[in-house]
Amino acid sequence: MNTYDVVIVGAGPAGLTAAIYAIRANMSVLVLDRLAPGGQMINTNEIENYTGTGKINGAELSMKMFEHTQELGVEFDYKTIVKIEDNGPIKILHSEEDDIPITTRTVIIATGTTPRTLGISGEEAYTGTGISWCAICDGAQYRDKNVVVIGGGNSAVEESIFLAGITKSLTIVTMFDLTADPKACDQLRAMPNVSVYPYQEILEFTGGDRLDGVRFKSTKEDAVERHIRCDGVFEYIGLQPNTDIFSHLDILDEMGFIAVDDEKKTTIDGIYSAGDVTSKKLRQIVTACSDGAISANAAAKYVDSLKAC
Amino acid sequence: MIQEINTEEYEGMGQTGPMMVEFYSKKCGPCKMLAFVLKDIDKLKPDFKIFTIDFDENQALKERLGVTGFPTMLLMKDGTEANRLKGLQQKPAIIKAIEEIM
Repeated sequence: MNTYDVVIVGAGPAGLTAAIYAIRANMSVLVLDRLAPGGQMINTNEIENYTGTGKINGAELSMKMFEHTQELGVEFDYKTIVKIEDNGPIKILHSEEDDIPITTRTVIIATGTTPRTLGISGEEAYTGTGISWCAICDGAQYRDKNVVVIGGGNSAVEESIFLAGITKSLTIVTMFDLTADPKACDQLRAMPNVSVYPYQEILEFTGGDRLDGVRFKSTKEDAVERHIRCDGVFEYIGLQPNTDIFSHLDILDEMGFIAVDDEKKTTIDGIYSAGDVTSKKLRQIVTACSDGAISANAAAKYVDSLKAC
Repeated sequence: MIQEINTEEYEGMGQTGPMMVEFYSKKCGPCKMLAFVLKDIDKLKPDFKIFTIDFDENQALKERLGVTGFPTMLLMKDGTEANRLKGLQQKPAIIKAIEEIM
């Protein structure tokens, strides 16, 4: 059985950058992803803050990063990893797709995050028909219709700007105020069909066969309750780490993210982590790439030390 | 085999046997990544017919087929929809859906 020097789990910007640095350090590299390269980037219409690219579509940047790894000869496969066994100098990965274990000297976990949900009445019933987490994918059906966006962070504001350009009205309901980049917030507030309701608690999604509205209540003293009629809802209320399958490794912080040191090493020798899935303050493509480079560099040094023994 | 078609070509073609009709949009990131996955599947199953249709340019057809978002994959057998996958899906899940209609 072939033992890789490093297996990278997740092919977003962190994983793909780790792959580039790892193969250039003469490591044997395998990148695995359950879907396709790109991670959260593929759901972003326009990326404007990745150095050197200007404005670029998220999927295009994903493909550029992936093609870069392929030019260097990185091996890629579609696998959903369900377990990592730590056997000291060898780690064994198990996938959902088959019973063939993958052995490696090091692992870089770059599994990213998935959108959080509210868990309130009506959410499950209207998921996929009236409630979505991807404006780029599902926004077109709401042309000239009334839409509510829940959330006030960077994703909520960026996607709201996109949606407000096609919808009749766009109402933003958020637990706090808009917390995205001030420039983007100003751009959104200046759009004529946009209303913002800050400091609200979302109570329920209403409707019969189809979603027809959102009920929410002010968290300020007046506690005014409102029911806004709408044809569709997009939720952007934060991200949760994709770390359920790593809970047995005891490498998570109290929020479920992976705790790492300055070299992106976890508490286990040979297991590193990079990108949004780690404990960090700024989750951006550029910081994910940085994490990927650091983790691959540290993994390469560790593999060298193993081979020297 | 992957082939881009429009409404007229969809209406005019014989729909015997299994095939996939995928609605995509040029501005959709997940659609671009799905195209990447479908190319991989095409290498494994070159005889399976995959037709791609531009969601934005074939409005009447997408409405008639009840397609509301993209990407959407319709798994068809002898002209009848047997299964529908919405959004970017895992490669093994798409292969499984294809094998179910073959």
